[in-house]
Amino acid sequence: MGEIIIGLALIALGLIIYVQGGDLPSLNEAFFNAGSFPRLIAGLLILLSLILILSKVLELRKRKPVEDKVSNKEKMGSFYREYRLVILTTVVFFVYIFLLQFIGFVVSTILFIIGAAILIGYRKRKEVMTISAVAVILTLTIYFFFENVLYVRFPSGIFI
Amino acid sequence: MSDLFLLGIAEVFQLRILIVILIGVVVGILAGLIPGFTVAMAIVLTLPLTFGMDPVAGVSAMIGVFVGGMSGGLITAALLGIPGTPSSIATTFDAYPMSQKGESGKALSIGIWASFLSSIISFFLLVSIAPQISRFALMMGPWEMFSLIVVSLTIIASVTGDSIIKGLIAGLFGLLIATVGADPITGISRFSFDLATLRAGIPFLVVLIGMFAISRLLQSLEAKEINKDDIKRQEDKIKNLKFVMRPIKTLMVVLKKPGTLFGASTIGSIIGAIPGAGGSIANIVAYDQAKKWSKNPEKFGTGCEEGIIASEAGNNSTVGGDLIPTVALGIPGSAVTAVLLSALMVHGITPGPLLIVNEPNIVGGIFFAFLVASFWMLITQFLGMKYFMKVTQIPVQVLVPVILVLCVVGTFVLNNRFTDLYILLAMGLIGYIFTKYDFSLAPAIIGVILGPIAEVNLRRAAMADPDWTLFFTRPISLVFLILAVLSIVYTVWQTYRTNYRLKKSMGEK
Repeated sequence: MGEIIIGLALIALGLIIYVQGGDLPSLNEAFFNAGSFPRLIAGLLILLSLILILSKVLELRKRKPVEDKVSNKEKMGSFYREYRLVILTTVVFFVYIFLLQFIGFVVSTILFIIGAAILIGYRKRKEVMTISAVAVILTLTIYFFFENVLYVRFPSGIFI
Repeated sequence: MSDLFLLGIAEVFQLRILIVILIGVVVGILAGLIPGFTVAMAIVLTLPLTFGMDPVAGVSAMIGVFVGGMSGGLITAALLGIPGTPSSIATTFDAYPMSQKGESGKALSIGIWASFLSSIISFFLLVSIAPQISRFALMMGPWEMFSLIVVSLTIIASVTGDSIIKGLIAGLFGLLIATVGADPITGISRFSFDLATLRAGIPFLVVLIGMFAISRLLQSLEAKEINKDDIKRQEDKIKNLKFVMRPIKTLMVVLKKPGTLFGASTIGSIIGAIPGAGGSIANIVAYDQAKKWSKNPEKFGTGCEEGIIASEAGNNSTVGGDLIPTVALGIPGSAVTAVLLSALMVHGITPGPLLIVNEPNIVGGIFFAFLVASFWMLITQFLGMKYFMKVTQIPVQVLVPVILVLCVVGTFVLNNRFTDLYILLAMGLIGYIFTKYDFSLAPAIIGVILGPIAEVNLRRAAMADPDWTLFFTRPISLVFLILAVLSIVYTVWQTYRTNYRLKKSMGEK
């Protein structure tokens, strides 16, 4: 099932590239202007995705329909239990990279490391102490190493 | 040829470079032995640190990580029975039983010696074969280069993942990612959808960090992976391993099995040279072959010496093999060498058949960095084993946030752009979904790096002569295209055959 959705998404992507590729300005090339190579690739991608979808649909049809005893709600529940941390960590990570430019590298990174570790299950007092120490030392080491040795300016927002 | 060596020796044998390689090896070993932290991840995260170095030092550091990583998986494989990286799966078959018999030290030392000696063997294959191939490659025009890329991508697609169609789709997806941004010939901005972020293109390294590091970290957060990690840790505490390693004695053990050592190293080097296939395939194939050739195959799997030698020689010799197409043709054999090539590009050096002619000091440097790294690996493994073991105790709760931060730093350092971080997250999620549905990432990554080269050569060919049949009438180009078709047909046929057999055996039951 997942493969079919991926296939459809890729076909959509291929179509966008194919149409956009046709609109690109062409210089005086006989053929192969800026859009040709992407269109070639997009065309192949659409073709292969179609084959993938067809083969998966055939496979699904062949398989005898199993009576679904598990209700949709239960399915969602087990899906959530399995992927809870993946989803939550992605959200926290997104918040981190979003806030980075506003509150600065050092503060946001320390908060992110501690927050993510607690989220993943580092909750005992001793464990929180350890991860806090790791967060502060690591962040400051990275900060000073890059600023002073490699001369990279890290974002500094309201804090550092 | 000889000045290649002289230049290489002059470049590498400086205290600074030797230390850089040593650090690389240690980092690689650590990355290799932590389950869930792969060599490819380590190498993409090392890259930003090498921007400030000169090209030879940067590339040397990465080769150190590569060599160390290939041998680091051995430690977890032997002591815990879990492969630290996919390259040491076969090592668990024999090293773990041997270590359970109370001979951990012996299992580790045999593995280290096999890794070292096979690296040396693959070094000699590398230096003797790579220059010949690149001399041959100099005769190739844009037609041949384009066909070569086509055949490389189809081979990658057919050796990795569970179906060739998914592999090809992943490869094409990689090629499409590479077309975003400025057109390599006329500079026209493509597919930026009026987003300032995309106008400069999607940086290769961000794709790499996202697909290899972020997606792998997300995977290790799945509930079943976390449980596995907890169970393993509880077991660890019960064990209080003590062992003695006898370097000289085990060296004799390994040298007494020259057939296994040479056979496995040759297999590893050849598999390493095939684009897309690397240590994870080589160690299993080498183990399998050693079992077939062995006089007493029934001992395999019970903790026999030959099994460890075959597996470890198989995975470490892929490094030398992998460097052959990388240096000679500019076509990376794996994700790791793809990063190596992009490191050269960051320094303004174009990889390709001309690399050996134009930059002999860099190629010589790569050769000798590999040799030096093998020696460092041998020394640090024997001296540092006790400390390395402790690292396997780092829990996932610390590892994941820390590496996520390293990914952010690596991405940011590249271009100093915040918007790259969003691309990083997007690529991580795409990579995660891809691996969940068994699309392998290697073709996508190599597609991204080879995409612009393929396009430039295709369009150059069209400009030089509008006759497109030249791709089929120039002999070398034709051979490559036939190989591409064959690799697809062969894989399809093979899947068909295994499916057929499976059905037949199911029917009999």
